[in-house]
Amino acid sequence: MKLKVLWMYHDLMDLYGDKGNIQVIKMRCALRGIECVVDTCTLNEEKDIRGYDLLFIGGGADKEQSLLVQDLLSRKQNIKEAMEKGTFVLLICGGYQLFGQYYLDGDGQKIEGLGFFDYYTESATRDVRCIGNIAIEVNVEGKKFKAVGFENHGGQTKNVSSPLGRVLSGHGNSFHDGFEGFYNGQVLGTYMHGPLLPKNPKLADLIIQKALFKNYGDVTLEALDDTLEEKAQQVMLERILK
Amino acid sequence: MRLLIVKFIHFLLSLLGRGGSLPGTIALKMDPNILKKFKMPKKVILVTGTNGKTTTSNLIVESFQKTGLKVIGNRKGDNLKEGIVTLLCTHSSLNYQVQAEAVVLEVDELTVMRVFEDLHVTTFVVNNFFRDQLDRAGEMETIVRRIESVLPNYEGHLILNADDPNVVRLKESAPKAKAHFFGVGENAVSKKTTNEASEGKFCPRCGKPLAYEYYQYSHIGKFSCDCGFGENEVECFVDEIDYEHETFTMNHKTYHSFRNAIYGIYNCVAVLCVMKVNGLDDDAANEVFKTFTMNKGRNETFDLNGNCLLNLVKNPTGANEVMKAIMKSNADKNILIILNDNDQDGKDVSWIWDAHFDLLIDEHTKRILCSGKRAYDMALRLKYEGYEALEVFENVEDAIVRLKELEEDAYVIATYTALESTRNILRRHAS
Repeated sequence: MKLKVLWMYHDLMDLYGDKGNIQVIKMRCALRGIECVVDTCTLNEEKDIRGYDLLFIGGGADKEQSLLVQDLLSRKQNIKEAMEKGTFVLLICGGYQLFGQYYLDGDGQKIEGLGFFDYYTESATRDVRCIGNIAIEVNVEGKKFKAVGFENHGGQTKNVSSPLGRVLSGHGNSFHDGFEGFYNGQVLGTYMHGPLLPKNPKLADLIIQKALFKNYGDVTLEALDDTLEEKAQQVMLERILK
Repeated sequence: MRLLIVKFIHFLLSLLGRGGSLPGTIALKMDPNILKKFKMPKKVILVTGTNGKTTTSNLIVESFQKTGLKVIGNRKGDNLKEGIVTLLCTHSSLNYQVQAEAVVLEVDELTVMRVFEDLHVTTFVVNNFFRDQLDRAGEMETIVRRIESVLPNYEGHLILNADDPNVVRLKESAPKAKAHFFGVGENAVSKKTTNEASEGKFCPRCGKPLAYEYYQYSHIGKFSCDCGFGENEVECFVDEIDYEHETFTMNHKTYHSFRNAIYGIYNCVAVLCVMKVNGLDDDAANEVFKTFTMNKGRNETFDLNGNCLLNLVKNPTGANEVMKAIMKSNADKNILIILNDNDQDGKDVSWIWDAHFDLLIDEHTKRILCSGKRAYDMALRLKYEGYEALEVFENVEDAIVRLKELEEDAYVIATYTALESTRNILRRHAS
């Protein structure tokens, strides 16, 4: 089997170690004999997203985010067609915000989003951010499991129709929101850095499975030795939920 | 009267063998404007930037001393407002006259804004801006903007690293200051491309991509932009580095290179620039470069049943340089990494994914031991780099006992809050 990943704006949206997510996807594929190819795509680079099984965009600083908006909007049709063909999309923080209606930044500047979903993001007053360790209960595809991460966002995302999960401790989509992220079976958006996937192997495998679905349909993934991953998650859950 | 109380508290604490910034905290509680009251000497040097603040300011203190000046400084890195107030309270007369000819302060990047005007700064040095503790400091843009906010009316010397675009940018906010640039030319460690640079991608002036002729480390290097940004005369320029003889040449004069590493040379040339603009003899600085010993926990050695070297890491750039230094040795080794996530370490440990821990992996690295509050996060970082000989110890002492049993050379890397306790454990186990 083969999994083709497109890592968009790898050079701009690379705050908070989000690149670790790519390393996790790659290794968890390699350990199962799945060939994983990761291509990158930056500003003004021609890439047909429809040819990929997984599209990944990480988080970036406000300044970087505003630099890439035009480029991203110019790819709207291509991204839409890719999603129609079954490309799975993983979005962290800034990437998550840009798939919504708009982002109102800290300077009061309104950045238009791709508008695929109804949610929108408005920056909180400067110097007030949702920062800290976060634990959630993911509730997707009929499965419930815990996930941990670190959130650090000024943007307050509202009007999320289908969140990724319920917040057990931390903020989530906005201050004391109660819910975190977005999930619709095709797109997973979240504010969880850490990075997200190393300590949350169940999410990593869910994403791999969803991405493989495009070419291979339902696939059962071979179980891996996740002792370290589970221990790392457990240490944080015990601390956060004590 | 208040000053007397603060001095008395400091005296009592010193009897107890305690330093720290508690007296300053109390002084600020009693009088939030106390900093305005001090009569500062003619030379007030302030050093800020992400990496190398402590080293640079300590080198300046010692160099000034060598020229015969009476100088005080916050030498132990108490770089927040409380630490600065403590220093001034304990070195001033009861009418707030600071009793020194020069004050040299390293100041935390976010604290600069809170103290700059009151201190009557005469020389302001900015080293570099790297990603550091994003949970505390926020995005780079926020930090730079805050520092820019103190500059519009500043009339003193502004000493800037010519090879960091975000530092160079400060000149544009300081129309009245006397700007001086320092830089380092292409040398044996310079590279045409890099995988380390997180900043410096776009021109801070026009937003177009920056072009780099070469990188020294991280995003520090020779950059340019079509709009002309960065075209400044570099007053203190290192045109040659001789790593073998541990020297470098600046403006046709040869100096001893401190720590013999590229980031150390940037610290040296910043110091030489400070000496120059203050009209002081740079031979004094050169003497200091030869003899200066680093702070505790910076390349400190222990005899742990064989060689053991302890280093502090705080952020990706610093960690990369520490790891490159460790890997210069071709001997078989075991490495212990102690990762904490207390306030001073940064609560967000995601920075370990921005750092190149893959640097540690070669055939001579026999084992990597992980410890500290986030030991498992560190282990996962290495696991997903493909490294298998991992050992996790929740307790630091157990890790050091294990390191001692092993034959190979030992290297210990610790984050800030783990450093002191790790030193103590190492001292107990060292012969």
